[in-house]
Amino acid sequence: MAVAGHVGSDYERLRPEFRVIDNPFAPAERVMLVPAIRPDVALLHAFLAAPDGTLLLDPNEDDALLAQASRAVFASAERLTTVDEVRRAGTGVVLEGVHVTGVVEIPGGARPTLVRGAYAIDLGHVAEYLEAAGDDVAFKDYLARHVGV
Amino acid sequence: MSERPTPEETVATAIAREVVDGETVAVGTLAPVPASGVLLAHFTHAPRARVVIINHPDYWPFRNGSKEFYDFAQRGNFDLFFLSGGQIDRHGNLNLVAVGDPRAPRVRFPGGAGAAMLYYLARRVVVFRLEHTPRIFVERVDVVASPGASPPNVVRPGGPSKVVTPLCVFRFERETRRLVVESLHPGVTRDELASRTGFPLEFAPDAGTAPAPTGAQLATLRGRVRDSLRKVYPRFADAI
Repeated sequence: MAVAGHVGSDYERLRPEFRVIDNPFAPAERVMLVPAIRPDVALLHAFLAAPDGTLLLDPNEDDALLAQASRAVFASAERLTTVDEVRRAGTGVVLEGVHVTGVVEIPGGARPTLVRGAYAIDLGHVAEYLEAAGDDVAFKDYLARHVGV
Repeated sequence: MSERPTPEETVATAIAREVVDGETVAVGTLAPVPASGVLLAHFTHAPRARVVIINHPDYWPFRNGSKEFYDFAQRGNFDLFFLSGGQIDRHGNLNLVAVGDPRAPRVRFPGGAGAAMLYYLARRVVVFRLEHTPRIFVERVDVVASPGASPPNVVRPGGPSKVVTPLCVFRFERETRRLVVESLHPGVTRDELASRTGFPLEFAPDAGTAPAPTGAQLATLRGRVRDSLRKVYPRFADAI
């Protein structure tokens, strides 16, 4: 994929997979190409999901793009409902079910991060996570308390 | 309410002076001070500016994620944008990658891939930094995440125009590719500025003292601007 800018920055040196070529449409110009990211799996959280995989997603995020780049896509949703309601809701980006591998209803599934219009970020919990993530023993304890593993 | 401006207010007021009415001006993530300056301008001399503030419910005209924002920027639609750097050098180079060897960094920054596009494509970029010290303003950045200037065979309609700190405003001179001091904020001496900058200073021939924020500007910043900012930076709005 071609990206604007970047040419002449140290990204040319630091990221050998980024290539700089003559622009085939304007040979006097140099242009940077970066390899497309192709995730094996994308995990998303949706406002709404239908059983056929149709999702209503946060319009401020790039979840629909991420889903279309990924080989498999699993989405949790605040609520499972009908395709008709997902299409009518109109407060987000509708992603067609053809892009989605599986859905599951998990109210609060984005916690401790936020779902716009539903619940705010839990900064106390994020601080607890950051503290625990610096230490293997503390992190096992965190998982036992909050994830149940 | 104190009439003395805080460093944030000094920088925001200087940023507001860079906003031109009728232009399209955008503010990215983690940038409450530029957002304050842009809103101050919008509420005073630039009511017809098209204002974009990432994540602000009143100033976010996109419905398809940051991709739509970046695509809009790549078309050259932004007249004015704001960037910062972990290090900033006299040639306007920004380091958003690392201090030291980037493969074994002493300090790791969040990365600057978005900046490496916006620094080229936004017509004017104002660089801002609240900390003005020799460790930030260095002779040469350790990693050039975004160069201040580019050769003619690079598509670059835009680039740096100013660098704003609580001490001064630098102007980027395209001919020499260097920062020159355009103005000092009230109370800052040339000696103090030199001692807190890690590269030799050059002064514009007309370099003088920048106007202090007026009482009316401070009142707007502490009233209407803060109320709007709270929708996207609630903790910053409550702290200042």
